[in-house]
Amino acid sequence: MKFSIGKSDFREVLSKVQGLTGRKTNLAITETVLITAHDDSVTLVATDLETGFEGNYPASVEAEGAIAINAKKLHEIIREFPADEIQIHEVENRWIEIRNENVEYHIVGMNPEDFQQTPPIEEVTFYEADAAALRRMIERIIIIAGAPDDKRPHIVGAYFEGVEGDNDRLIRLVSTDGSRLAKTEWVLPPEATAPTGEGVLIPKKGLQEVSRFMGSGGTIHFGFQENHFIVQKGGETITIRLLEGDFPRYGDIIEREDGTPIEMDRQLFMMMLRRMSILVTEQYKGVIFEFSDNKLTITATNPDIGESKEEMEIDYEAEPIEVAFNPRFFIDTLNVIEDERVILNILDARRPCIVRGESDATYLSAIMPMKI
Amino acid sequence: MPITDPEGSRDSIRKIIHIDMDAFYASVEQRDRPELRGKPVIVGGDPDRRGVVAACSYEARRYGIHSAMAAVTARRRCPAAVFLRPRFEVYRSVSCRIREIFMRYTDLVEPLSLDEAFLDVTRNKKEMASATLIARAIKAEIREETGLTASAGVSFNKFLAKIASDFNKPDGITVVTPEMAGDFIDRLPIGKFFGVGRSTEARMHALGVRTGADLRQLEISDLLRHFGKAGRFFYGIARGRDDRPVTPDRIRKSLGKETTLSEDIDDPDRMLVILEEIAHKIEDLVRTHEIRARTVVLKVKYADFRTVTRSATLSAPVENADVIMTHIADLLSKTTDGRQKVRLLGITLSNFAGDAEAPRCHQQLPLPLFI
Repeated sequence: MKFSIGKSDFREVLSKVQGLTGRKTNLAITETVLITAHDDSVTLVATDLETGFEGNYPASVEAEGAIAINAKKLHEIIREFPADEIQIHEVENRWIEIRNENVEYHIVGMNPEDFQQTPPIEEVTFYEADAAALRRMIERIIIIAGAPDDKRPHIVGAYFEGVEGDNDRLIRLVSTDGSRLAKTEWVLPPEATAPTGEGVLIPKKGLQEVSRFMGSGGTIHFGFQENHFIVQKGGETITIRLLEGDFPRYGDIIEREDGTPIEMDRQLFMMMLRRMSILVTEQYKGVIFEFSDNKLTITATNPDIGESKEEMEIDYEAEPIEVAFNPRFFIDTLNVIEDERVILNILDARRPCIVRGESDATYLSAIMPMKI
Repeated sequence: MPITDPEGSRDSIRKIIHIDMDAFYASVEQRDRPELRGKPVIVGGDPDRRGVVAACSYEARRYGIHSAMAAVTARRRCPAAVFLRPRFEVYRSVSCRIREIFMRYTDLVEPLSLDEAFLDVTRNKKEMASATLIARAIKAEIREETGLTASAGVSFNKFLAKIASDFNKPDGITVVTPEMAGDFIDRLPIGKFFGVGRSTEARMHALGVRTGADLRQLEISDLLRHFGKAGRFFYGIARGRDDRPVTPDRIRKSLGKETTLSEDIDDPDRMLVILEEIAHKIEDLVRTHEIRARTVVLKVKYADFRTVTRSATLSAPVENADVIMTHIADLLSKTTDGRQKVRLLGITLSNFAGDAEAPRCHQQLPLPLFI
């Protein structure tokens, strides 16, 4: 196999696949990228066995063939490469030369036959979506991730569903770590079609890769093939194996008729929480929120360090409520809300607090209190 | 023969109630789905995937179906039975509700699992003198507030209260007074005694002991010789003596549950179903006792009585059965699962967070998912 390729495109894609190839699996081959040269392009494939990436890039191909080469080392070599054009050549069996006139590397490859192929895309119905919108959705919900050793499907995965509303159709992503839950939606343009029926569980790690590949503009296509979620943009495809399992019926958690809405300035609330979380440690994660008489008082107590207290004026005339929360959860949520005003809905110290922006109906978060 | 109180005084006699929900999981399902009432309902694994029965309704029991039976066998005995996957979150919330009811009468509540608990009502919050009336009131409140029935055993120690609750199921109440205890124990088959499992039962039979009356014939020295330390306990309970207290919050170094299987099995899928059941019991204890343990231990006893344990230590304390099960599945695959018959399965949590590690402040509450 022998081809030459432009540095910048090649470098960009190699940087993007590091998340996949850097993930520990039981197979050494997943640390490699599979590069196949054919006609006038090369195809690059990477996988962590759950999420697969495939991209097609123009190259001038002298001899066809396939190699599997360590992705991290190849990336480092290309990143530092002092020329715009790079030649890659399998000089003998799995002995790969990367060079231009002045620089020359020889790298041992692995057997491309061992590479775990992602399933070929056959008859898939693709739906169109705005890349920036989908990326924003993903970013808003993957901050909610479980502990690394928590393998429950509804924690590892985010719930993806198409929803047919009365007036509009939307796609929705819901994510939970067991203590909080976020829901985000994208209303489809009137002419667009959306998947209907049962939702699916997509691993959040895979979605993170999707957001990394998506870039910030343009249109993507997504679809489902058996138990895979597929996203395509330009010549690049990501295929994520879906998780098997149930997602909780989250309607009761996020829908709320009663309770008092409490409106607050997002920035001021955020700064207050940041100050209050200075005394928060792994052992003392909670701070106490006290809503009473047009005032929010937050107190943080950490016997190892000390204590802090801050008050803020708010509109609140209902019964006083005292409730403990992990301030980190609020900061995470406030970070992904765009409105300047946020609305909290707290019922009591044992039920989740709902947080959303004043006007943006496409995002909502439910945060469970801590035991006082 | 009436049992004489060892202290000699009637005032020192305890009043212990054992409450056991009737066909708990199946009854909850029949309550929530009226169309299932009066029908054989089996809660447990999928018969097509070699699951086992976790619980079954009384209608199903008429077909000879019982818990821990292979679901496929159950289906063969009663093809019309409705098979359901367990909804542990629901059972747990019902269980919490029932515990709230217990707490109206006494703080001395020792839950054994989601559907059973001991209560010591010798002194109670309502200052009621009759434990029988308390048991009746609790049963009525359970029925009123959860729509489910329970059976109660009332006696002067845990052993007799537990046996009694099983005597008149469902929706029954059985009282064993000190005067009745002698006859009650005499007639009791040896397999029903606390601490007498399959193998002890066989050894008892070999000694000619088939009932409580037979057990009482044995001298303490014989019992000690045959059963070691447990012999002393058997000697006591044969005479109606069991002074184990009802302990709401035992300080524990570890917490475990195990099940001796009704038949030896070698199918890993069935083992996992049984382990899942155990994991949910453990989750319940974890919540009840607010335990923070980071090590999960799987115990497997093979048919030849060889026991192996496998353990995993996690980065954070175990919170629920799902977390336990993801590790147990890994651990089970590290045993000789599928190649040898297994007679007992157990899960233990250990490595409890000490005071230094335990949050002295607030604990994160979970969202009410899957309810």
